[in-house]
Amino acid sequence: MLNRAFTKHFWLMLIPGLVWLFFINVLPMYGILMAFKDFNPGAGILKSPWVGLEHFEYMFELDDSSQVFKNTVTIAFAKMVGNLVVPLVFALMLNEVKNRLFGRTVQTIVYLPHFLSWVIVAGILLDMFSLHGPVNRVLEALGAEPVHFFARADLFPALVVGSDIWKEFGFAAIIFFAALTSINPELYEAAAIDGASQFKRLLNITLPSVLPVAALVGTLSLGNILNAGFDQIFNLYNPAVYSTGDIIDTWVYRAGLINMQYGLATAVGLLKSVAGLILISVSYGLAYRFANYRVF
Amino acid sequence: MRKIWLTIMAALLVAGLLSACGGNKADDNNGAAATSNGGVNSGAEQEVIDPFEKYPEPVEVSIGRAIDPNYKFNGNDTAEDNAYTRWLKDRYNIVVKHAWEASTADYNQKVSLAISSNDLPDAMLVNESQLKLMVKAGQLADLTEVYEKYASDAVKRIYDSNPGLLESVTFDGKLYALPETTLPSAPLTWIRKDWLDALGLEPPKTLQDIENIAKAFIDNKMGGENTVGIVGTGQGGSLYATFLTSTDHFFNFSPLFFAHNAYPGIWIKDKDGKAVYGSIQPETKEALAMMRDWYAKGILDKEIGMRKSGQEVVIGGKAGIFFGPWWSPYSIIDGIKNDPNANWRPYIAPLDAEGKFNSNQATGSTFIVVKKNYKHPEAVIKMLNIHWGAKDPSYEEAVKGKEMTSQEIPLFIIGGAGDQLEYAVNSLRKYLAGEMSIEDYDAVNYGFATDLAKHAKDIKKEPYDNYDIQYWDKETDQAFFPHVYAHLNGGSTFVDADVNYVRSIATSQTKTMEMKWANLKKLEDETFLKIILGTVPLDEFDAFVAKWKDQGGDQITKEVNELL
Repeated sequence: MLNRAFTKHFWLMLIPGLVWLFFINVLPMYGILMAFKDFNPGAGILKSPWVGLEHFEYMFELDDSSQVFKNTVTIAFAKMVGNLVVPLVFALMLNEVKNRLFGRTVQTIVYLPHFLSWVIVAGILLDMFSLHGPVNRVLEALGAEPVHFFARADLFPALVVGSDIWKEFGFAAIIFFAALTSINPELYEAAAIDGASQFKRLLNITLPSVLPVAALVGTLSLGNILNAGFDQIFNLYNPAVYSTGDIIDTWVYRAGLINMQYGLATAVGLLKSVAGLILISVSYGLAYRFANYRVF
Repeated sequence: MRKIWLTIMAALLVAGLLSACGGNKADDNNGAAATSNGGVNSGAEQEVIDPFEKYPEPVEVSIGRAIDPNYKFNGNDTAEDNAYTRWLKDRYNIVVKHAWEASTADYNQKVSLAISSNDLPDAMLVNESQLKLMVKAGQLADLTEVYEKYASDAVKRIYDSNPGLLESVTFDGKLYALPETTLPSAPLTWIRKDWLDALGLEPPKTLQDIENIAKAFIDNKMGGENTVGIVGTGQGGSLYATFLTSTDHFFNFSPLFFAHNAYPGIWIKDKDGKAVYGSIQPETKEALAMMRDWYAKGILDKEIGMRKSGQEVVIGGKAGIFFGPWWSPYSIIDGIKNDPNANWRPYIAPLDAEGKFNSNQATGSTFIVVKKNYKHPEAVIKMLNIHWGAKDPSYEEAVKGKEMTSQEIPLFIIGGAGDQLEYAVNSLRKYLAGEMSIEDYDAVNYGFATDLAKHAKDIKKEPYDNYDIQYWDKETDQAFFPHVYAHLNGGSTFVDADVNYVRSIATSQTKTMEMKWANLKKLEDETFLKIILGTVPLDEFDAFVAKWKDQGGDQITKEVNELL
């Protein structure tokens, strides 16, 4: 246990963060009451009549709910795995490149897409994968039939996950680069003297050293299992791919803001938050256990 | 773990306290509303009111504003601070402030958000379903008295000449909005006539004609490699305008349904006079079958529903056919300016089997609404007086000849006698033919039509009755070119057309719809697009109808019938 004076310091430093958290995250929470009400904007949340669990009952009746839930989890899980494995492999590979200038250049280039918003990236993607776009040109040159990528429900999740990984892997790799640089070079020297090959050194020194970081990143991202990426999908999808591409957030957006079904949209959103809270708690538990990472 | 629970409980406790505070605040607001309304009423009783009087002190009106990101303002002007708003301030002491701005495409969502959070600007423009929601929610100011007292004679005359219009926004005897005096509009078929002429083709009448023309355009590569046959709905768009979100049929495929006597997306009467939903009728299936066939043949844009914007294809000269209302030239003006040959002409097509030209009547009207507690509802009425009335002499000096549009004029709604478009188009034709002079114009009631005539001869070259693009001067009067061009080229065809209108029986949501419509709409959009793309068999339509009825459609149909 740290001494008391020292902890007081910490609490003091926490205040701005807590105030922010209170106003941005806690204060709006009373809006979840809408999920149990027939919301009338004029009367406000508190004066709207209660309807009990009506919205939740309807939500569970819908065939849609399970489909939307399944889409969300599938896409989010695939992204989670991809965004862990690809940056890790990339970092390990680039770490072996001895030309530092080349390594840094590559690193800078691959993390650039992270700073573009999805509106822009989606526009580029729609063009690239359109019927007469570059991707189909290449397919044609190879003698294949052109593929109507964004009309194919079976391909849509792959496009979403793939493009998300493409956009984010460079940035996600940064944490692995940091872990790699903290490995004691003496280990490599000793291993080299003992006659370990390049690959053996990777397997027995590099990999075990970054594994705790990988485990941490992986478990922390568990909390995002219900966030499949609204910005991205909203800018890419169309009704033809609803069956595999409609996620909780896009559904809530359409229900709430297009069709003005405020209560129902809140109910679905609330359920998502509750599931998210449980998952985050679990992931922090796991992170503590496997990576010794603590928040509380 | 225990600490987490403590944190959560603390958070809930705080949330509870806050909601208590929220409750008090709402009460205060209601109280304030009552007193302020009372104040206005009693204070203004005996005065003689000049509807154009300058306020002694600046009066602020906060509004929500739709911004067209492509619009070019003069100099450093913005939508909030431009020649018109400065003139409003100097001449009338009305200061317009923007509570928020949204692009034209996002405006409706932004309004919905404002309504749901009850965080409203003093006044804004809304559509019909938003208006009804706000009335139901009790968010709007009762304008009955201020309208009576402050509306100018010109404004009253305009509303009087549109019978039923003010009644449609009067609920329980209270006037809640100032409606636009839109005409019904029908989607015409717009075709590149220069391409038709080059191939020696006749203008279309039937669906078959349109198919042949599209095919000829594609086969002869009129727009280069990958010419698009018929371009329409883009990403996020709808195949047709519905009773809730009318987009005036701009760039969608409504006419292909109408020519089959199908009216998807609206509530129509069946043979027995009962209300039924257009999307589940057999005619809609027929239309979808044809569109599916056209799509397979490449007649319809292969990227239907997936393009960022169909307009770009037209402006880029890659497509020769699209559907849109008479004012479409306004929106493709860049394409017309870029390509001197682009000769877009509208046609009354496709006709149905009996030779009738059908359209659903768009409900896409716009309404000015005023927030309940706003202290100066009369300022909004005055703004309309000023916008619709004859302008004060200081106006010309302020705007320096630039034509003010919805981007400069706050709370812009179209207002004119019921026959405004007809008058503008017919008188313009007569004027150009020499049968009428500027002096013959009724400039008081048809100000804009008179302006059109004043500019027309700089823009339209002889022969005056031929609207092909080579007989226009696009350069001399660039500000007015789109107006005159759209009115003569599009407006004249529309005014002369004999349109068979079908109006939706329901124009707002019923009780069950509020709960179930999002799901039903999703089912509809997904099934229809997939049928057209050919990813599901045509008979999926029947499964859709069964599902639609089962998942709440039957209940909703019952409720709509109760409205009758």
